[in-house]
Amino acid sequence: MNPEVPTPNRVLVIDDSDFIHKLVRVRLRQEGLEVTGEYAGERGIERATSNPPDLILLDIDLPNMDGFEVCRRLKEHPATRHLPIIFLTGTTSTDSKVRGLDLGAVDYVTKPFDEIELRARVRAALRTKRLQDMLEQQSFLDGLTGLWNRAYLNRRLEAEITVAERYGRPLSVVLIDIDHFKPVNDTYGHLFGDVVLQGIAARLYEYARRSDIVTRYGGEEFALLLVDTCIEAATHVSERLREGIESRVFEARGHRVEVTASFGVVATPDAPGRLSTESILSLADQALYMSKDAGRNSVHVYTRGGFRPASEVPRIDDFDDGSGAE
Amino acid sequence: MDPIRSHYEDDADMLELVREFAGEIPSRVLRLMELLAERDFEELQRIAHQLKGAGGGYGFPQITEAAASLEGALREGADEASVKERAELLTATLRAVRVPEPS
Repeated sequence: MNPEVPTPNRVLVIDDSDFIHKLVRVRLRQEGLEVTGEYAGERGIERATSNPPDLILLDIDLPNMDGFEVCRRLKEHPATRHLPIIFLTGTTSTDSKVRGLDLGAVDYVTKPFDEIELRARVRAALRTKRLQDMLEQQSFLDGLTGLWNRAYLNRRLEAEITVAERYGRPLSVVLIDIDHFKPVNDTYGHLFGDVVLQGIAARLYEYARRSDIVTRYGGEEFALLLVDTCIEAATHVSERLREGIESRVFEARGHRVEVTASFGVVATPDAPGRLSTESILSLADQALYMSKDAGRNSVHVYTRGGFRPASEVPRIDDFDDGSGAE
Repeated sequence: MDPIRSHYEDDADMLELVREFAGEIPSRVLRLMELLAERDFEELQRIAHQLKGAGGGYGFPQITEAAASLEGALREGADEASVKERAELLTATLRAVRVPEPS
């Protein structure tokens, strides 16, 4: 897993009154939250969608666009749909409360607010948000190996392609397939097969750098997403992993079982045409099959010139920062 | 009207904010009187709504109460005399606010 660095929860306050912003800031200070503010609905939506906070405190009486409309739009936008919204408003009618909650807000606090109550409600909303995030994360994990799963790879790859294109940074993808896995399964049983998969997963994770995304792509296939990594560096990483897997010995019923893997590598600056998750994965897959055809336990890459073995890629020694030192 | 003090004036975190709030009261009072004279009831209601929301938060429930009463009258389309009476109660309440001087 890629451990997330703990950061303070961020709360966005959308209210047209400066006095409320100041008050909320002071009242939430002891919760260790980062509080930011906007004074109008449109600006609030802009801020929330471009840099989603963990919680939104939303006034109803706002100039131009009222809080209900802001809530509706936030609940429509993919980037903010899941964010908890608490209405913080001087509008106390039951109608408004019902309308706000029906629009998807998690809570409704009336002004003037009791500071202790507001803090408790903010904590409750953040607690639920954390659980939701955890559930979402679990749906992206592979149960057997503990690595990210294919759904996560697809989603993350799409996001990273956008970043790589925007900033002109390289991005590499490595597909890894365990050689002759079926005979291992057939000879020693599926439970042993699972042990092998877990062992390989552990080795991949152990050899990967902090920034690498290690995923179980399917059956006996793994995929690595190497951000900010050029083809030379990705090839180097792949060779190191190939050797790491080759040197790992599994024991079953007194037998020593050695496992190897084949690799297919592709990097975005070398991928032709408009990049897509599909085209990148397809090129990596083709490179992987070159490795299989070449006798397995090898690394092949796709570069502008076509597919070729890792031995034809210029070597990079002494890099460890993952930036692909020139 | 007796002087009104903030419930939070002993709260070190809040005192600074309370002072700021009190510092803006004269201009708020002026604005309320202008709006009343111009019969701009829509804007008057908005200001009353804001004061209702902020007052109690700064330790002045009396402001919230007076502002809520004015807001309610405006929302229900009360007669002008009643609106005027409640607006005057709100301005009087605001004027009665006192905060400790910085030492």
